[in-house]
Amino acid sequence: MTESTPETPAEAIRVEGLEKLYRRTMPGDRLRTLKSALLEGSLTGNLRREEAITALAGIDFTVARGEAFGVIGGNGSGKSTLLKLIAGMLKPSAGRITVSGRVAAMIELGAGFHPEISGRENVFINGAVLGLPKREIERRYDEIVEFSGLGEFMEEPVKNYSSGMYVRLGFAVAIHTDPDVLLVDEVLAVGDEAFAHRCVRRIEEFLAAGRTLLLVSHSLDLVSGLCDRVLWLDEGRQRLVASPRRAIDAYRQAVAEQEAEEHQAAKEQREAAPAGGPGSESGEELRWGSREAEITSIRLLNAAGAEHYHLECGEAACFEIRVRAAAPLTDFVFGVAIATPRGTEVWGTNTDLEGYVPASFSGEATIRVTCPALRLAPGEYTVDVAVHARDGAPYDYRRRALTLTVTARHGGVGVYFPEHAWDFAGEVRWADEET
Amino acid sequence: MLRVARQLFRFRGLLGTLTARELKARYRGSVLGFLWSLANPLLLLAVYSFVFGVLFKPARSQGIGDGPYALFIVSGLFPWVWLSTSTLEGSMSLIANSGLIRKAVFPAEVLPMVVVLSNLVHLLLAMPVVLAAMLATWLLTHSVGGAAVVMLPLVILLQLPMIAGLALGASALTVHFKDVRDLLGNLFTLLFFLTPILYSIDFFTGQSRMMLLMAWVVRLNPFTPFTRAYQDVLFFGRAPEPLLWAQMALVSLVFWAIGAWLFDRLRETLVEAA
Repeated sequence: MTESTPETPAEAIRVEGLEKLYRRTMPGDRLRTLKSALLEGSLTGNLRREEAITALAGIDFTVARGEAFGVIGGNGSGKSTLLKLIAGMLKPSAGRITVSGRVAAMIELGAGFHPEISGRENVFINGAVLGLPKREIERRYDEIVEFSGLGEFMEEPVKNYSSGMYVRLGFAVAIHTDPDVLLVDEVLAVGDEAFAHRCVRRIEEFLAAGRTLLLVSHSLDLVSGLCDRVLWLDEGRQRLVASPRRAIDAYRQAVAEQEAEEHQAAKEQREAAPAGGPGSESGEELRWGSREAEITSIRLLNAAGAEHYHLECGEAACFEIRVRAAAPLTDFVFGVAIATPRGTEVWGTNTDLEGYVPASFSGEATIRVTCPALRLAPGEYTVDVAVHARDGAPYDYRRRALTLTVTARHGGVGVYFPEHAWDFAGEVRWADEET
Repeated sequence: MLRVARQLFRFRGLLGTLTARELKARYRGSVLGFLWSLANPLLLLAVYSFVFGVLFKPARSQGIGDGPYALFIVSGLFPWVWLSTSTLEGSMSLIANSGLIRKAVFPAEVLPMVVVLSNLVHLLLAMPVVLAAMLATWLLTHSVGGAAVVMLPLVILLQLPMIAGLALGASALTVHFKDVRDLLGNLFTLLFFLTPILYSIDFFTGQSRMMLLMAWVVRLNPFTPFTRAYQDVLFFGRAPEPLLWAQMALVSLVFWAIGAWLFDRLRETLVEAA
């Protein structure tokens, strides 16, 4: 139940034991759906487990008045459902939601606009939907128009607006209704850079006035910049409510872990494919050479010596290659190279370049290249490995033999992230950073 | 039931704005504008007057008196168009605006109500034409109309909750069950002939069992009291009997209660299913 109680000063939103089920759409199920809706006022009341999809379960949190609360998580993790529940559009299957004060939800900006009529009239309709009397809208009309920057277009039917203009007007109306609690679902990503900045500034003013914000976003920078606390939802479960830095770190870590598993699975799949077969789905050749020596396995090991395809920037990394020589060789070079998925070489080296002069190699060998601190910038990388003759004639060249994900607590641009330190002499002050 | 009424009252500003928008959007870019909303009832009127007033004349005149048959039909037909159009259009109102319901916090009951009100405006806009025709006939022959016409707003007001209930209930049911619209379309076609619009309620002064049965069906038809009241105040120029008022009030209350209850019951499911 969503209830509005004007006098609970400390908490703006309280969510207790929240659960939300959706009904699986089954063919020929209409009558039962209707029956359930009529008899129980709910679509899921009488459902067996297998007929329901759990969108959210076990959600408990409170948002203090004046707080900016972020919600992050992957697609389908229940973020938008949570927002719609708090907005009172959906009814919880179990649990309670209490919201104090007037709520405005930005779910899809301009969803309420009528295409045939003018922007001006739509402002009034949208305002009325958000619960603002006509007089109030009249009073704020100029402000709304100015904020949207659509002055000369206000008499045009909104069907002639661009999607950006739609969003700008929608945001302008919603923010000027002056709610106590603002629910925002990923709407700041639309619209141009300048407008996005204006929206963020306006939200900051809103927060400074002691209002409450609940922000659902995939933009982790935006969340960490705006929010005081962050909820991380993972497949409908509440994983963590913490400071933005902790929650975002944990979320990024989990995403990277998942990617690392995918890297490993992809690698295993590649290895299971018939050796020497033509390349990937793209038709690009991924492995070539005479096979006088053959690379039998490649692994990425972390500091603990475990196979792992996710690295924190600056962590130790070891590339391990096993090679078998078909016959004893006297001319051989082992090499490793890292590139971005788009093919930009980041780093490459081999035994020849580093002065190892081959004498003999027969049977099997395990070669390890260890970087005590691999300082790649956050992102995805691919690794090529090769064994070849000193003149470059390949024995076994394996392109994109590995993929890996690198994360870092602080972002950075480019591919390289050297160890560094800032020093400020003079009158430079920084607000205390939470750690 | 009360919640729906409260919501409608709370969002009355929105209701007014949206109704105005609906009317404006409908007539924007059309040359004849509002005349189009007159065209359909007038066409129906012409056809029925011809078929039942000329072709099958002897069969229908019972209980109508001396007034022109066309004006008799008008008295019942125009309000019927309000009723049936509101219910049929209203049944689609939530589905047609599913974006609004799913993606914005929106008082859904406003949507079917907007349909009811904009169709009421059409009725009211047609009324001067009807009244002018009545007045002309009254001046010429004194065979129709009279002072009781001042009760017309009362009858309309009394019917409003009934039509609102129909539109609300139909809209919520249609969200789950698209068949409702087709069902209603056919039901209304049938009910049109079971409502004394083309004939008078006194038509069935029969002896045969069939006539008696039909008389009962027509009397039990919940739309009959309203049609009779409209005919009383517009065509016959007499005040409806107290019993008729009581019947109308009861029917209106029941329809509103059922419609609003249905809507309220299904409200929470509309966002998911629309």
